[in-house]
Amino acid sequence: MEEKLTQRSVWEKISNKLSKRSLWMLHYCTGCGAIELPPTMTARFDMERFGISPMVTPRQADILLITGYLSVKTLKRVVLTYEQMQAPKYVVGFGSCTINGGMYWNSYSTMKCLDQYIPVETYIAGCMPRPEAIIASFNDLIAKIDRGEANSWKDYYKNYDFYKANQDRTFEGPIETYNDIKADAAMFNIK
Amino acid sequence: MSIVSGLLLIALAGVILNVLFYKSKIVQKYVSLLLFAVLAYLSFNMYKQVGSHFSIPFLIAGQSIGFTITWLNYYFALMITGITLLTAIFSLKYMEGKEGIVHYYTVLFMKTFGMLGVILSSDLITFFVFWEIMSWSTFSLMSTGGKEAPKSALKYFIFAVTASMILMVGVVLSYSLFGSFDFAVIHSKIDSLSLPMTGFLLSIFIVSFSIESAVFPMHSWLPEGYSNTFTTFTAYLTGISTRIGIYGIILFLFGIFGIQTVDKLVILGKINFRYIFGVFAALTMIIPTFTALYQHDAKKLIAWHSVGQGGYMLIGLASANALGISGGILHIINYLTYQVLIVFAIASVEYRTGTTNLNKLGGLIKKMPVSYLALLFGIIGLAGLPPMNGFVSKWFIYKALIMSGYPFLAIAAVIGTIGTILSVYKLIHNMFLGQLPERYNDIKEVSFSMQLPMWILMIVVFGLGVYPGLAMGLIAKIQTSLGLAVVPYSLHGIASGSGQLNMLVITALFMGGLAVAWIIYLLGSRRKHVNQYNNYAGGHFLNKDVAYNFNYEFYAAIEHVIDPYRKKIIERTERGIIGLVDAVSEYVRRIYTGMINTYAIYILTAFVITIIFLKELI
Amino acid sequence: MNTVLWIIFLPIIIFIIGTFMLGYSRKFIARIERRYGPPIQQVFYDIFKLMNKKTNISHGWMHDIAILMLLGGTLLTLYFIPVPGFHFFAQYGDMLVIMYILLIPALGMALGVGETANPNGSIGISRALMMLAGYDIPFFLTFIGMAMLNQTTSMYELINIQQAGGFFGWGLITNPLLGVAALIALQGMLGEKPFEVMVAPHEIATGPMTEMGGKYLGIMMIQHAIAVVVELTIYINLFLGGALNWFEYIIKLFVLFTVLLSVNAVFGRFRTDDAVRFMWKIPLPMAVIGVLFIIF
Repeated sequence: MEEKLTQRSVWEKISNKLSKRSLWMLHYCTGCGAIELPPTMTARFDMERFGISPMVTPRQADILLITGYLSVKTLKRVVLTYEQMQAPKYVVGFGSCTINGGMYWNSYSTMKCLDQYIPVETYIAGCMPRPEAIIASFNDLIAKIDRGEANSWKDYYKNYDFYKANQDRTFEGPIETYNDIKADAAMFNIK
Repeated sequence: MSIVSGLLLIALAGVILNVLFYKSKIVQKYVSLLLFAVLAYLSFNMYKQVGSHFSIPFLIAGQSIGFTITWLNYYFALMITGITLLTAIFSLKYMEGKEGIVHYYTVLFMKTFGMLGVILSSDLITFFVFWEIMSWSTFSLMSTGGKEAPKSALKYFIFAVTASMILMVGVVLSYSLFGSFDFAVIHSKIDSLSLPMTGFLLSIFIVSFSIESAVFPMHSWLPEGYSNTFTTFTAYLTGISTRIGIYGIILFLFGIFGIQTVDKLVILGKINFRYIFGVFAALTMIIPTFTALYQHDAKKLIAWHSVGQGGYMLIGLASANALGISGGILHIINYLTYQVLIVFAIASVEYRTGTTNLNKLGGLIKKMPVSYLALLFGIIGLAGLPPMNGFVSKWFIYKALIMSGYPFLAIAAVIGTIGTILSVYKLIHNMFLGQLPERYNDIKEVSFSMQLPMWILMIVVFGLGVYPGLAMGLIAKIQTSLGLAVVPYSLHGIASGSGQLNMLVITALFMGGLAVAWIIYLLGSRRKHVNQYNNYAGGHFLNKDVAYNFNYEFYAAIEHVIDPYRKKIIERTERGIIGLVDAVSEYVRRIYTGMINTYAIYILTAFVITIIFLKELI
Repeated sequence: MNTVLWIIFLPIIIFIIGTFMLGYSRKFIARIERRYGPPIQQVFYDIFKLMNKKTNISHGWMHDIAILMLLGGTLLTLYFIPVPGFHFFAQYGDMLVIMYILLIPALGMALGVGETANPNGSIGISRALMMLAGYDIPFFLTFIGMAMLNQTTSMYELINIQQAGGFFGWGLITNPLLGVAALIALQGMLGEKPFEVMVAPHEIATGPMTEMGGKYLGIMMIQHAIAVVVELTIYINLFLGGALNWFEYIIKLFVLFTVLLSVNAVFGRFRTDDAVRFMWKIPLPMAVIGVLFIIF
């Protein structure tokens, strides 16, 4: 199965090579990590030289950068935003909070593990991760796209039941995002 | 029997039938429709009898009066009967079960009768009599439908009576000057008149017609008067009724006085009678168009445009070169088609939703695609963008103004166009685009009998845009018959001269561009239609309870910029005039004290004065 | 035959120039901000990626047609503007036609954005149309002034007249007031700062582009690349004497664009009403005075 994912046609290879040069990022900054982003974007680290630039709406973005912890309330918004993004899309978890809850590990209202709810492409560990770490992780992501391995967005369609169950359990009931994931999966031929 | 008498008698027969059989639904609907169809057929065939004269079999003041058919008449008669027929088709369903349906068809016939009489008449007496019939039936059209209608109709009444009085002065004055009512006789004798007298007489007629065609300072009756009545009447009134005033202006400016006579009325250098007329036309374009931005009611918004678009026709006529005049005349039919199309679309929305309030509608494109398309064609025409017909006539007018050296009149036309684009986008956005409110989830597209006139007009709007030559042939004949130069037209636009216009090339290239864009569009993956609640809201969950729409105060920022000028100039002027009239009428009122003694003194005084004067005279 | 080749290849050439100019603008602004900046071919990558997206959401048929009207209208404008070596269609439509077909893409876009049912988009369009009222009036007045001065409304003849006068025949030299007024209006027309309130990413989420993603945004970017060249070419043809060959043309394009970008790079954003007021208070009186000079 794994090999099959990485087997690509020539066109896919070319398109991956070109697509990796342009990644638009939507940053979801309810946590404390937002302060690390301005230096990443501006003169000191300048992520635009990799073709990564900030965007404002999920329709335009390729990367969803989740900075810091997520509470139940904000996680709902993240799921909505993620579903509104257009495939292929990549989630980057930023900071320890998205990995294991970080310093809020014992809080009643925060999420411990982001990839229980939406598929995550890359994590950046640390509290806080410095701009260098962000740039490094983006470079990892670019390399992954180049190799054709950045396919986590397909997991959401493949294992939607798993994600949906986790979401419903946490939100204590279904949320209405007006997105028909099953129909989309059929459209993409993902089973 | 000539076609003229046929036309007028059938229109009159319609009035009588509708009065006699006021209970019969069949007469009201189908017989009326049949008669309108016959009228349209007859007026289409009028071209066979151009030049023929029909006299009424009695004399007035020793003169024979009657009707003639000219190319100008033919042009207007076609528009009148055509639009009446379309309105009648549209009304079949629209008026079903509405109050006042008896009145509706009667006044529609009466109005058609009056307008046909006005345009066909060949002398001042007939003209005046039919003008009165027309004004009165306009008054009755306006006073039906809705609570506000009688009040605004009364406002029109005051303006119309003033216009008629001024017109009567003109009629009497011309009779005393020329000893004849006949247009042809007056035209032949006009050169013998002194210049100040010519100017005075021309001003009298032009002012009278300007009131009817709502030129800037005399326009205030129109928007309310037209928008408070039935929406089908709004279509009929904005479409053709106002333009009869323009007919009068064309007839008197070019037909009776002649452009050579008018051009002698020079005030200072380039500033002559035409230029002043053009300045008023420019104000008519700009001010009402920007007032339209403020409107919250679709009918009112479009009624303001009905004022503004008149300015384009007048400014075209005022430029007085071949291109400008043909642009002005062409704009009448173009305006008629897209304006009526827009009002029909508004009427369809009103028919289904019961409101024309722009703040309460939205998202209807999903429910009423045909009405949307009709409105879209209409607004592209109104805004004057290619490939619709409004562009062609506006192009003529701009070109004429630039080439004859009126840059500021040309820029006024541009400002008017930009104001139009702004307000028509507000119209289509607030009605058809944006979020669909939950209460309109069950509405459907209007039935076929209402769609049919819209489809016909859509074809005409587009067809005249691509093939302006179809109308230009007739306009060239009008210009020749009025003794004016003719534009070298072709089927697709302007044939020669500096900077030609070929609408077919423009349209074909646009279609080609669309095709290329479509190919590029197909290169991407398939698109997926999503629900309107699947929308970016900064992470907020949307559903039917969340109002997520922007239509209230759509142009707040530019209103902010315009407001000071608007308030300062217009409102203060208006307030000043109101104050003056108030003060004068206050003094006049004091004459009527209500005591018999005072009246007796008045009578006595008048008696004494009369005797003194008579004595001196004798 | 030659004409057919031009018709096929002109959009492609202009598109390539346009994308490089947009890439250049990003690089230029990055350098002013002391950044390294993206590579100059970055816009190609962006467009490729957008066209290559797997999902493309749309809110209805008008949304789909709007995007076609946007690109189709821009291509239409492109053909009517004389470029060195190709002015076949210039004989069928003059400057007045160009003025009006420039508005077709704007209207198409406005309708499509309206159907996305997103208030951010509607606000963006409302602002864009208000800005149109601001910059188009002075711009049209300069059009009219140039047409009156040269007694022609054909853009091709206008170029010839200017070329005949050499450097001192350029519109900018003979009519500096009109030239500068049009330059300011051009800044607004291109939506560069300080007149980019219709996009305002931090305020209304890029306005018209809010619900545009995937190939829709891709086509918008293609259109933008072409439209930039078209609008700059109009200015060059009117005031900078047009161009005789492609080398001169491209040089003029880049120089003019750099002037506009330098303003763009150092300015903030005008509020809509301030921008309209500015346009009506500075370039419009300038254009009026310029036209008065022509009359008298």
